[in-house]
Amino acid sequence: MNYVALKMLFGDRAKYLMLLCGLTFCVMLIVQQGSIFWGLMIWSESGISNLNVQIWVTDPNISQVAEVKPIAPTTVERVRSVPGVEWAVPLYRGVGRARLANGEYHQITLMGLDASTLIGRPAHMEEGRIEDLRTPDAVVVDQWAVERMGGPEVIKVGTIFEINDRKARIVGIAHVQKDFQNIPSVYATFERATAYAPPERRLLSYVLAKARDNEPVEAVTERIAEQTGLGAFTQEEFGWKTIVWVLKNTGIGINFGTTILLGFIVGMAIAGQTFYLFTVENLKQFGALKAMGASTFALARMIILQAFTVGIIGFGIGIGLATLFGTLAASKGQLPFSETWPLLWIVFGSLLAICTFSASISIIKLAKLEPAIVFR
Amino acid sequence: MIVLTRLSVWASLVGLLFTTWILMAAKKQEPMPTPIEPPPTSPYATTVAASGIIEAENENVRIAPPAAGLITKVFVKVGDQVDLDAPLLQLDDRELRAQLAVRQAAIAPAEARIEEQRNRLEDLQVQYKRLQAVHDRRAVSEDDVKRTWYAMEANQRVLVRNEADLIQAVAQRDETKILLERLTVRAPRSGTVLQVNVRAGEYATPGAAEALLLLGETHRLQVRADVDEVNAPLVQAGNPGVAYLKGSTKQAIPLTFARIEPYIVPKKSLTGDNTERVDTRVLQIIYHFARPPFPVYAGQQVDVFIKRDGGAATPPPAQEPGKAP
Repeated sequence: MNYVALKMLFGDRAKYLMLLCGLTFCVMLIVQQGSIFWGLMIWSESGISNLNVQIWVTDPNISQVAEVKPIAPTTVERVRSVPGVEWAVPLYRGVGRARLANGEYHQITLMGLDASTLIGRPAHMEEGRIEDLRTPDAVVVDQWAVERMGGPEVIKVGTIFEINDRKARIVGIAHVQKDFQNIPSVYATFERATAYAPPERRLLSYVLAKARDNEPVEAVTERIAEQTGLGAFTQEEFGWKTIVWVLKNTGIGINFGTTILLGFIVGMAIAGQTFYLFTVENLKQFGALKAMGASTFALARMIILQAFTVGIIGFGIGIGLATLFGTLAASKGQLPFSETWPLLWIVFGSLLAICTFSASISIIKLAKLEPAIVFR
Repeated sequence: MIVLTRLSVWASLVGLLFTTWILMAAKKQEPMPTPIEPPPTSPYATTVAASGIIEAENENVRIAPPAAGLITKVFVKVGDQVDLDAPLLQLDDRELRAQLAVRQAAIAPAEARIEEQRNRLEDLQVQYKRLQAVHDRRAVSEDDVKRTWYAMEANQRVLVRNEADLIQAVAQRDETKILLERLTVRAPRSGTVLQVNVRAGEYATPGAAEALLLLGETHRLQVRADVDEVNAPLVQAGNPGVAYLKGSTKQAIPLTFARIEPYIVPKKSLTGDNTERVDTRVLQIIYHFARPPFPVYAGQQVDVFIKRDGGAATPPPAQEPGKAP
């Protein structure tokens, strides 16, 4: 029976290819759009993931990482006093204006790291040493600053420029995840960053902390929040908070959601229609099978086998093409593209849903089929 | 198998394998890069953390001038060991010296006047005695005797006044002398000169933000730990602590409790900016420590962890201090 079903499927080459193309492009569209969407979300939380620390403490009403509300300078000690906290260090994050020797100016994100530990520092350096941040007037810029502020001739180790009218000297170039807003980051020590920052009553933006190894992180964040009255978030929570903010406050979610939904509907329509035509054309054969004594259930099994076979083949080709696109177009990190296993499983699930939907239309048709049709 | 004869099936398999390969090779979230220096961590299970500063055990003395004036000489340099009453600074004293000369000169005439008056008085006394000695009352007029007596008495008063004038002149000279001495600023106690912020030729005014000299005792240092007032109830008097110098967390300095400052003060931001920002208020706790084998200096910042017994005392869910009106 299965052999017959597959023979029927592959036998009609034109219809088979059409079915396959419909499903392939549907899968490819969803995977590609979903990956770009997720890539954008990862960019939007790069302000958190680039620092890669366990716990973030700040004002409880914070909506996302770039909207800083400064907190009291003693907060570091208050967080350290909470049981279960292994360490806590300050972090400054603010916006500054960098002015180059050639008169160009650019907006930058200024990051102030704890001077002795440099916790929150970029994991990879393209040039220079991060330890040199402790030398006078030293800053480290990321590779996007090189790209945006005038290329490797202008921005290199040793370049001197101004941040908020104060001298800054580049001692290194870090490699980090690109930011959603594409604003280059400049790293300095906390003390220097607060000197660059415009005068404000409070200059502490975040307290970065780590839970002791034998304590669950969530319990520690809860305890910090309870004992200090501040907002304490794990890296994941804060990342999601930022992503949710981006989805709420920009059109990205709706745009990509619409495209993905369209891909789903178009795929479903094409597959359903083609499959239905396919079944209708083979009605005689199905009728003959029924006349020979095959039950409706057996026929349904055949149909489902056909639908899932073509679906799975289409899935493989679709994700292959999408991945190829991703690796070719986004290899240098210029394009947000992040393909993940959960996305693939979701797409696989929706594909099975499309196949089931198209198969069920045909099964209904077959269920009503009179074996006598063979003789007509 | 009919399935294996189709090209599309192979294409699908290739796509699946390719995707799996790419996703497997994709960068996983790396662990956090290890800190350059290990961050300060509490050695106690429960702790009250504080930021602290190392200072001389008996608080530093900010030497101020007694009056506004030009500084003509600085007797000490940074690091000098000075004794009690050792001269530190000399303010311009030319004006007072000139005055002293004038006042000194005023003493001699006053003394001369007394001498003169004594003579005059003696003369009158002799005259009066002679008049009294005459036996025949008719030989001298009563009027002469009375006149001489009055003249003698009047001159006696003048002498008293002249003597008072002399005392006044001496007192005026002494005043100038004392004022002159005051212009030499002396050490109020023995200690080390920690800072010299003034040079000869500069003008000193009392009440300036920066002290002229900073005098302290650096043989014995102490740690002044600032605890946020919200955490003040957590502090248990008498508990030991540890301090880590900024930037070297490998060596802990054990602290022994000395006392709690009874008055809560506003915390000063130690950002190095000259606009001082007063923010939260802090409870200050004083700790003693034995000098560690590595160098420590007065004025160095430290991270302090104070031992807290049990988790019994938890602070009330604190309101963010910023929200207070």
